[in-house]
Amino acid sequence: MADKKNNHEIKNHQSSLKTAKVFKKGDDLFACSRCGTCLAICPVYKNTLDESFAPRGKLSLIEAVANKRIPFTDRLSKKIYTCTMCDFCTSECPSGVKVNELFAAVREDLVENKKYPEVLDYLKDKIEKAYNITFDSNQGRTDWLKQVPGTDIGDYVKQTAEVVYFVGCVSSFSPRSFSIPRAIVKLLKIANVDFTLLSEDEWCCGFPLLGSGMRQEVKTLAEHNIEAVIKRNAKVLLTSCPSCFHTWKHEYEKLTGIKAGFEIMHVSQYLLKLVKEGAIKPGSLNIKVTYHDPCDLGRNSGIYDEPRQLIKSIPDVELIEMASAKKQANCCGGGGNIESLDPALSAKIADNRAEEVLLTGAEIALSACQQCERTMGTALKKKKSEGGVKLKAMDVAELLLKSLESEQN
Amino acid sequence: MKQSQIKYLEEIAGQDFVITDIEDKICFGYDSTRLEFMPDVIVKVKDAGQISSILKFANEYKIPVTPRGAATGLSGGCLAVNGGISLVMLEMNAISEVNNVDLLVEVQAGAITVDVDKAANKYGLFYPPDPGSLKTSTIGGNIAENAGGLRGLKYGVTKDYVKSLELVLPTGEIINTGAITVKSVSGYNIVDLITGSEGTLAIVTKATLGLLPIPKAKASVLATFDDMASAASAVRDIVAAGIITATLEFVDNVTINAIEDYLNIGLDRNTGAMLLIEVDGYEAAVEAEAQTVKDVCGKNNCSSFRLATSAEERDRLWSARRAALSSLARVRPSTILEDATVPRSRIVELVEAVNDIAKKYGLSIGTFGHAGDGNLHPTILTDLRDKEEEVKVEKAIEEIFIKTIELGGTLSGEHGIGLTKAKFLKLEVSEDAYRLMKNIKKTFDPNNILNPGKLLIN
Ligand SMILES: Cc1cc2nc3c(=O)[nH]c(=O)nc-3n(C[C@H](O)[C@H](O)[C@H](O)COP(=O)(O)OP(=O)(O)OC[C@H]3O[C@@H](n4cnc5c(N)ncnc54)[C@H](O)[C@@H]3O)c2cc1C
Repeated sequence: MADKKNNHEIKNHQSSLKTAKVFKKGDDLFACSRCGTCLAICPVYKNTLDESFAPRGKLSLIEAVANKRIPFTDRLSKKIYTCTMCDFCTSECPSGVKVNELFAAVREDLVENKKYPEVLDYLKDKIEKAYNITFDSNQGRTDWLKQVPGTDIGDYVKQTAEVVYFVGCVSSFSPRSFSIPRAIVKLLKIANVDFTLLSEDEWCCGFPLLGSGMRQEVKTLAEHNIEAVIKRNAKVLLTSCPSCFHTWKHEYEKLTGIKAGFEIMHVSQYLLKLVKEGAIKPGSLNIKVTYHDPCDLGRNSGIYDEPRQLIKSIPDVELIEMASAKKQANCCGGGGNIESLDPALSAKIADNRAEEVLLTGAEIALSACQQCERTMGTALKKKKSEGGVKLKAMDVAELLLKSLESEQN
Repeated sequence: MKQSQIKYLEEIAGQDFVITDIEDKICFGYDSTRLEFMPDVIVKVKDAGQISSILKFANEYKIPVTPRGAATGLSGGCLAVNGGISLVMLEMNAISEVNNVDLLVEVQAGAITVDVDKAANKYGLFYPPDPGSLKTSTIGGNIAENAGGLRGLKYGVTKDYVKSLELVLPTGEIINTGAITVKSVSGYNIVDLITGSEGTLAIVTKATLGLLPIPKAKASVLATFDDMASAASAVRDIVAAGIITATLEFVDNVTINAIEDYLNIGLDRNTGAMLLIEVDGYEAAVEAEAQTVKDVCGKNNCSSFRLATSAEERDRLWSARRAALSSLARVRPSTILEDATVPRSRIVELVEAVNDIAKKYGLSIGTFGHAGDGNLHPTILTDLRDKEEEVKVEKAIEEIFIKTIELGGTLSGEHGIGLTKAKFLKLEVSEDAYRLMKNIKKTFDPNNILNPGKLLIN
C-alpha cells in the first residue's frame, strides 16, 4: 500500500509539469532526495524547527503544486517567502539541486498568481515611482555627502570618470549606513582615483524586486543603470553593496542582453588593488577583528579572499575567523525581504550570528555589506544592553580609513 | 479525525502547536526515503506530560500516532502510513550539563545528535555514535533506529551509549528504565529493547547517554587497491594484526568514478577499491598502529598509500569518502540507499553479488560503506519516474536481500526495517521469532496505535 501511493505521485509528476516557470525545472525539483542536509544549515529552519520552512519542505510544496495536489495558496506563499536567500542550502545540497533557482522561479510564479506578500507591492511601487526603495525623491541620492561640511558636490558628481561608484539605496538613504559610503569616497580621494557618483541617475539595482519574484520589472532599471555608466565613459563600476554587485555581475546581462564594456568590482576588491599598488598605505591598528561573509559577496559571488586580504593589509590587526566562515558562513538574517516580512525571525537569525561573533573574542565585527553591518550591529547592540559586550560592527572600508586616520594622529 | 478530536489535542498541546493545514501536512508527510504519507494532524509536543495525555486519548479512540524526529530516516519509520497524529519531537531538545565524572549527559529526545557531541566536547569528551546525518538527526530517532556511524568498529552503535530512558507507553504511562551506573542487571533490559524498536513500542522523551574521553591522537590512511579482493584481504589482515581501527571505510570502483566526475580530484578511475582507515588513541599507539596498517596494505599490493596526522591533511583524505553519497546522488535523479550487512569475512562475496545483480538488471549501483562492520551501502542510481526501471530496482533490492541473508547477514545494519523492508523481514526472522516480536508489541501497545504499519505487518 505504501509504495503504491508514492508511485502514483511520481507517475503523475511528469505529465503535470506545466508552463509555470518552476515546473520547467522538473528534473531539478525531482532530484531533491529529502536527505535533510539543508535542515542543519538553513537559518529559517533552525529558528523555527518547522519542516515546512526548510528548503526540502518548500521543494516538496512546489512539487505538490506541480502534481496538482494543491494550488498556489497564501499559506504556501508565506512559507516560500520566508527565506533569507542566503543560498547556503544550494551550496551544500549533496544532490546539487539548484535550490535558489527553483525558489526564484516559484516566486515569479507566485507573483503571476497574485499570491505574494502585500508589502512587496508597496516596495515595487516605491521603486517604480522614486527609483529607490524609499519614498524619498531620488534627488536625495547624495544627501549623505552634502551633510559633510565643506563638501563640494562637483568633486563627486562628474560628467565622465574612470570609475563609477554605485552607492546603492540603503547606503544612500539610510542615515545609519552613511558612514560606509563616506569612508569609501574618502579613501578614493586619498588614492586620487578619478571617480564619480551617478547621483539621481543611479536607480535601484532591482535586487529587491528579483528577490520578490518581479523579474520583469527589473529590466528597465538595469537598462537605465547600464546606460548611465556607459555615458560616464567609465572603465570600472564599483559597488559597496554585495547585492547590487551580485545583480550587476550575474543578472544584468541575462536581463538586458547588454554586455557591459566595463569591469564590475566590489569595493573590497578595488580597495585591495589600491593598497597593493601603494595608492593607499594602511596605518597600524592594534585590534582583534572578525569578518562576516555577506551571502551575496561570498557564496553568491565567490569573493572570500579579497576582503580578508584587505583586513590583513592593515598592520597589527588580528583577524579571527568565526566557527562558520567563507562558503559555510551563516547568514546575518538581513537577506531576502525577511527583515520586512518577519522582523522577529530576522532578529533571531542575527542573534545567532552575533553569538558566533562573541565566541571569537574580537573587538570589531567586520563585514563588507551595509545590510550585514546593520543587522549584526543591531544584534550586538542588543547584547550590549543585556550586559557587558564591547563590540561593534563595521565595514572593511571603514576599518581601513580608521587605520589611516589613527596613523595621522 | 473529527474536529472535536483536534480541539481536544489543542487543549493539550496549545492551538499553535496543533496543525492541520494541507501545506504543512505535505511537509510532514515525507522522510529521506522520499515516500509520502500525510498525517491527519501535526502535534508539536513539549513534554512527557503532554505526550502521555495524547497517547491516552489516542489509545482510547484508536488513533494512530507516529513519532517524528528530524525525518532523515531511510526506512520510512516516521511516515504516518495510516494517517492520524504525527508527533513532532523537535521542540523537546534540552541538553543538561555534562557529568564529567560519570561521563554522562541527559538529553531530551528531540536534541540534535551533533549538539550532544558539542556539549560533550566542552569537557574533552565526545558522543561516539556518528551517523552521516548527525547534523540533522535527533537522539530520539537515533535511539529508535539504533543508529550507527563511521566509528562503529571500535566504538559500537547507539545502543552502546544509552544508559537509561524516560518513556511514554502507548497506554499513557510515563516510566523510567535502565540505570546510569556502569553496570546494571535489575530485571529485563528494557533500554535495549526500546533501542532499535523504531518508535513502535514507546515514545522516548529523555535519555541518559554515555560519553568517552576524546582520543589524544588520530591518524588517517587512504589506500587504493586494483581490485576489491585485495582491499578485503587488507581489511582481514588489519583485524588479524590485532588492530581495531576507529574507522574502516571502503569505496568501490563505481563510486570512485562518481566522485571523480563530481570533484575532479585526480582519483585513478581504474582503482578497484579504496579504503579509508582511521586509528586513534595515545600518540605512540597511533603511530605504531598506522605503521602496521601501512605494512598490511603494502603486503596486499595497495596501489597507493597516504597517511595524514594533522587535522587539515586528514580532512583532505576524508573529502573523497565524504563526497561518496553526494557524488552518487548527482548521477541520476533518484538514489536508493540500502544497508545490507554481512560478516566482515563475506564482504567480497556481497560486493560481487551486488555487481552481478546490477549487470543482470542493467542498473547502476555504487557500493561504499563500513567495511569494518561489514555494513555496505549498495546505492542504486535510478529514476523512479521510469516505471519499467522501478520494477527492475525492486527486483534487484529483493535479490540483494536474499543474497545478504544467504551470506549470514542481516537486512539492515542501521537504517531499520520500518516501512520499506517490512515485507522482507521474514526472510531473516523465523515464524516463531516473528510471533514473539508480535507478542512483545501487543504487550506494549494492545491497540496497535503507536506507529502502525511498520516493522511487523503480517
Ligand atoms: C544523508 C543521510 C545519512 C545517514 N547516515 C546514517 C548513518 O551513518 N548511520 C545510521 O544509522 N543512519 C543514517 N541515516 C539514517 C537516519 O539519519 C537515522 O536513522 C536517524 O537515526 C534518524 O533520526 P531522525 O531524528 O531523523 O528520525 P526520524 O526519521 O524522524 O524517525 C526515525 C524513526 O524513529 C522514530 N522516532 C523518532 N523520534 C522518536 C522518539 N522520540 N521516540 C520514539 N520513536 C521515535 C520514528 O517514529 C521513526 O520510526 C542517514 C540518513 C541520511 C539522510
